[in-house]
This record gives sequence, structure tokens and C-alpha cells, in this order.
Amino acid sequence: MKINYTKLLKIFLISIFYFVIDMVVAYAHGEKAMEPYFRTRTVMFYDVTWSTDNVKVGENVTIEGKFRLHSDWPQAVDDPDVIYVNQSIPGPVFAKIESYLNGVPARQSFRDMEVGKDYHYKMVLQGRVPGNHHVHPGIAIKGSGTIIGPGQFIKVSGSQKDFKFPVTTMDGVLIEDLETYALADVFKWHSTLAILGIFWLLWWVWRPLLIPRYQALKQGREDLLITRLDLTVGILLGVFVFVAIVYNYNVQANKYPITVPLQTSRMYTDPLPVADPQIKINVSRAEYDIPGRTMRMWVEVKNNGDNKVRLGELTTANLRFINKSFGHAMNNVTANYPSEHMADGGLEIDKDKYINPGESHKMFITAQDARWETERLTAFLTDVDARVGALLFFYDEEGNRKILDVASSILPVFTDDDGTGPSYQRIGR
Amino acid sequence: MSKSESRSFFGKIFRMRSEDREILKIVGLNKEQAGLARYFDFLVVAAAFLLFCGAFHLHVMLSAGDWDMFIDWKDRQYWPLIIPIDTIMFPAAVQAAFWYYFRLPIGATLCGVCLLTSVWIGTYSYWHLWTMFPIVLNVPSIIIAGCILLDVILLIFRRWIFVACIGAPLFALTFYPSNMAALTGYYVPVEHLGSMASMADVIGYTFPRSATPEYIRIIETGTLRTFEGTSVWVSGVFAAFVCIFLYMLWWQIGMAFSTVKTWSQSPKLKKYLGFKG
Ligand SMILES: [Cu+2]
Repeated sequence: MKINYTKLLKIFLISIFYFVIDMVVAYAHGEKAMEPYFRTRTVMFYDVTWSTDNVKVGENVTIEGKFRLHSDWPQAVDDPDVIYVNQSIPGPVFAKIESYLNGVPARQSFRDMEVGKDYHYKMVLQGRVPGNHHVHPGIAIKGSGTIIGPGQFIKVSGSQKDFKFPVTTMDGVLIEDLETYALADVFKWHSTLAILGIFWLLWWVWRPLLIPRYQALKQGREDLLITRLDLTVGILLGVFVFVAIVYNYNVQANKYPITVPLQTSRMYTDPLPVADPQIKINVSRAEYDIPGRTMRMWVEVKNNGDNKVRLGELTTANLRFINKSFGHAMNNVTANYPSEHMADGGLEIDKDKYINPGESHKMFITAQDARWETERLTAFLTDVDARVGALLFFYDEEGNRKILDVASSILPVFTDDDGTGPSYQRIGR
Repeated sequence: MSKSESRSFFGKIFRMRSEDREILKIVGLNKEQAGLARYFDFLVVAAAFLLFCGAFHLHVMLSAGDWDMFIDWKDRQYWPLIIPIDTIMFPAAVQAAFWYYFRLPIGATLCGVCLLTSVWIGTYSYWHLWTMFPIVLNVPSIIIAGCILLDVILLIFRRWIFVACIGAPLFALTFYPSNMAALTGYYVPVEHLGSMASMADVIGYTFPRSATPEYIRIIETGTLRTFEGTSVWVSGVFAAFVCIFLYMLWWQIGMAFSTVKTWSQSPKLKKYLGFKG
């Protein structure tokens, strides 16, 4: 058969092309692959801040924010019995210096988190590998995986060679760089054992090997195959190895007289104290208009508090829909917040107004954005759990914020004609 | 050694012992045949080395991977239990084949050297060069000491049942000290964010693995204690016990896999395959 080299070359180039495309897509950290019920009804990140977007190697960046564990926790996701304050970065491009949950050091995992409650996390990362890295906070839920918060590109400049991580042990020994700690001992001991092993292999391999040995064994000449010298060398080697283990074990035990086992306790913290928002929300219907890439919600808001409140923001799956005509809502967006997480069109509210104390107000909310598609949030159409959730931010006249988590079944609308929402007026289209 | 013999392929690289010349003589290989047999040896040795590097590494990664991969997984309970139990399988099987057909007591050591080679290639290339983790996070365990002892026991007693009863427990019990002979430094205490941690914990925390949250670690649970206040030797003795039977099982598996089995003795099939009638 004649090989068609041009064709082979073509196939090769096309594979390289797709490989490169895949690498570009991989910048998204895989959160798009997660089911919408996971991303809209579990860990709801808000108020995320990155202290800077430009650090040198060895400089720190602080990421902090809050999250609400959604009350409508999906049945398909394990309850947040054990969680870990995590981060999503492309490999160890940052060293993690500190992390906290509600101020408690988050060195280890936390247990018994409460659904429907808020928590505050903070982590300090130190630039290690130069590059432009996408940095997300994340909360890992045991049994379900890590749910990733919004991401910000942080540029690390300088040279990785300058990265040093000094640590002082409890007996006061300063280790200049954690990255190379005790490696000399490891290399020495591993190569000692490797040399002994290779010596033993060569001792046998240098002699006539497979075919001659097989034939000689068939003739019953085991005496030629294993001689007195072989036996002596073997016994000496065995004794030497045994003595070397005992000797080196003791050398190390004397060098490091105080050791402790790996530490594995579970931490606990109470959730953040949050006042009752005194707002009741009833979602009458939620639709997703597929051709229009729009989520529509009919809600009834009952204000049981003493102050007027007005809806300012809907946030879900790290996408923020802001009521742009409302100053307090706009003020809540930090200046350098990554635009990829902001819905361009914002949040449209029919009958947008301050709801008086005691008043019950019906509203129609429209959240339109192409990111519903590009973020693959419309995958609820193929999921077992076709419900979506969100956080709604209300503000009173002074700008005090009240956060509510809402969830509802969502109905797909496949055609361009009007949906079948409750009888009051709809905006848009 | 005659002049012509020393110029043969054999003689150029290795000086032969008198027993070796005797072997060639009784087997009836002339100079040329002995040279060819030597080429064959090298091909098989090279292929076997690569094969066991790949196969044994894969086996360990799939069955006990994390304990071998990460420094902050090497606990006192599961690590000295799981790694010996998991790593005695291949050495036992390879020992069986090498011993039964060639009387070579090197099967276990070959496996140990292969595993060390491949884990270090892995640690250095994909953990360190590619994903930029410092080597301290991925210091592997080492089993060569136990492997050499297995081979030496086989050489001394020449019966696999003795290796199972003496060598296998020795393999399991020497695992922990033979690793701590290099790793003790990773267990010195450090004050970390207000609590005490071992250096290994700090390494695991500082160089974050985003897809491996802390709770995934399976380390020391329960109230297993000996007089020394550590569960190491309880784990070690249990591993030794399990290793006895696993060694027996895998010796038999090694024997079964090194036996030639044919499907059909049909003369017709033989003819198609090019054998005479
Ligand atoms: Cu990202």
C-alpha cells in the first residue's frame, strides 16, 4: 500500500488545530460543563473582590467575598456536610498563604454547613509562576465537586526563580525554601537503593541469560545457574540492605527528633448572622425563552418590613443582572469587576418601584443575555432537575441590602409567540 | 579465555565465569549462536524493562495512586497498609516467571527498579515540568528495599512458599522504615495559621491542587494505637499478614500467565499457519 503523505500531514495539522482550540476553551476552567441546577442552586457567590489584578512573583493578592448556600439545594447534589475553601487556578501558579471561612483558618475542611445561610471567605495567594492567570474562588462540596465562583485575570510578572517560600518549624529551624525542603535526603536514599537494585539486576543479567539458562535448567544443571558465589553475594546484599534501612531510619529519627502525624481535623463555624429580610417572595412562573435567550420570572413580593424596598439585582451562576435605573444597585458593583460576569442588558423589571411596607407587589422580571447560551445554562432542558435558582438583591432607600434566594421550575418556551404567563402585562418583545 | 572467544560479542562486554562457559557448553551453543542469544537477551531485557515500567506504574497509579503521589497523603495508617499490599502483586508474579523458567532471582527487584524509574519520570515530567508543582509535593514511595529482600529470600530458600511466609511479611514490615529513612523531615511540626501541622500538610496546602480539596485525603481514622502511640506497626503487621496470601495468589497468577496455551491442535489450522502437516 502506498502511503499518502500529504493526507497524513493534513490529518496531523488538523489534529494540532483542534488541540490548540481545545486549549483555548480550557481557559474557562470547566465550570460550563456543570449542570445549571448545580450552578444556580448551590453555592451562590456574591461580593467577590480581588485586591489587585497585577502582582510580581512573591507578592500577594487577596480574594474575598461571600456566598449563600441556596435553600433550594438540589437533590442531585450532596448536602454541604463537608466543604473546603478552594480556589480554581491553572496549577500552582500561586502559592496559597492563608485562607479563612468566617475568619476561621480554612487549612482544613469544614463540616455541617447550613443551607440557606451566608458565609464569608478570604484567601491570600502569592504570585509564583509568571503569566496571565484566571483566578476564581471555589467551594468544594464533598461528594459533588468544586463549585467555582467568578474569575478575574491576574497578571503575575517577574521570574519564577525569584520565588522562595521560607518556613520556620516549631523547633525554630528556618527552612529557606519549602520547594526543595529535605529533597537532598530523598535523592540520596532513593539513588542508594536504586544502585543496589541495579547492581543486583546486572549481577544476573551479565551472565548467559534467557535461552542458555532455560536450556541448562531443562538439563537439570541448577548448580551452574546459581553458584556459591551468587548465594554469598545475595546474602551479603540482603544483610546490607537490612542494615542500611535500620541505620538510615535511625539517622533520620535523630536528625528530626520531634515529628507529628498528618493533621486532619474538621473545622466548624457558625454562619454569618444575617437579619431576617422581612420580604416574602412567591415565584408564580419562570420561563426561558430559547430563541430570545431570555429568562422571565413572574414574582409576587410581600414587604413585611418597616422600610420601602426595591429590587436591584438578580445574580445566578456568577452572572449578574443589574437594575441599571437603580442607583443603589449600580453602587454595589465594584469598579474593576470582570465584565465577563456582568450581563450587558441588565435586569428589566416591569412595575419597578419601591414596595411599601405591608404592600404585596406583582412584578415581571426579564433577564436577557446571550451568556445563558454561551455559559450553557440552558442545559436544564436536558437535565433531570429543571429548576433554576438565583439571588435577588433588594435595597431600601438608604441602600441597605436584603438578599433572598429564590428558585422555581423553569419552563422552556420554544416559539417566538407570547408565553402563557399570569395575566398581567409583560415587557420586552 | 581464548582470543577468538574474547572477541565475540559476549567477551567484548562481559568476562565470563567458568560456570558460564560451562553453561554454554552443555547447552551446545557455538560462538555465533551464543552471540545471537545475547542479542535476544538484550532485546528481551529492554522490552521487559519498558513493559514493567509501564504496567506496574499503571497498576499502582490506578489502585493506590494518591498515597504514592502526594507527600501529604503518606499517613501512618493507610499508607503502610495499602502500598505494600498493592505493590507485592507484580513482584510476586514476575518472580514466579523468572524463577520457574530461568532460575533468576531478580523478578521483584526488577519490578521495584521499574516502578521507581517510572514514578520519578512522572514526578519530574508531568508534575514538575508540565504542571509546575514543586518536587517536594510529589515525592514517591520506594519499595526496592523490600524487593531485594524478596529476591534474596527466594535465592536462599529456593521455594516460593518460604518467600510467601518469610519474604512477604518482611517486604511489608520494611516498607515504612525504608521510606521514613528519607521522609522523616516532612513530619516535623510547623505552626500554620494558628494550629499545628506537619511540614507535609503545609506543602500540600501551599501548592494548591484545585481539583483535590483537602477532604479527599484518606488518612488515619479510628482509634488504632499500639504502645508507641502510633498505628504504624498495627498497619504493618496487618499488611504483612495480607501480603503472605497475596504473594501466594500472585505467584500462581504469574505462573498461569507465563504458560503457553494454544487454542487448537487442528492439523488444518497448523497447515494454514505454515507448519508442516
Ligand atoms: Cu477561569
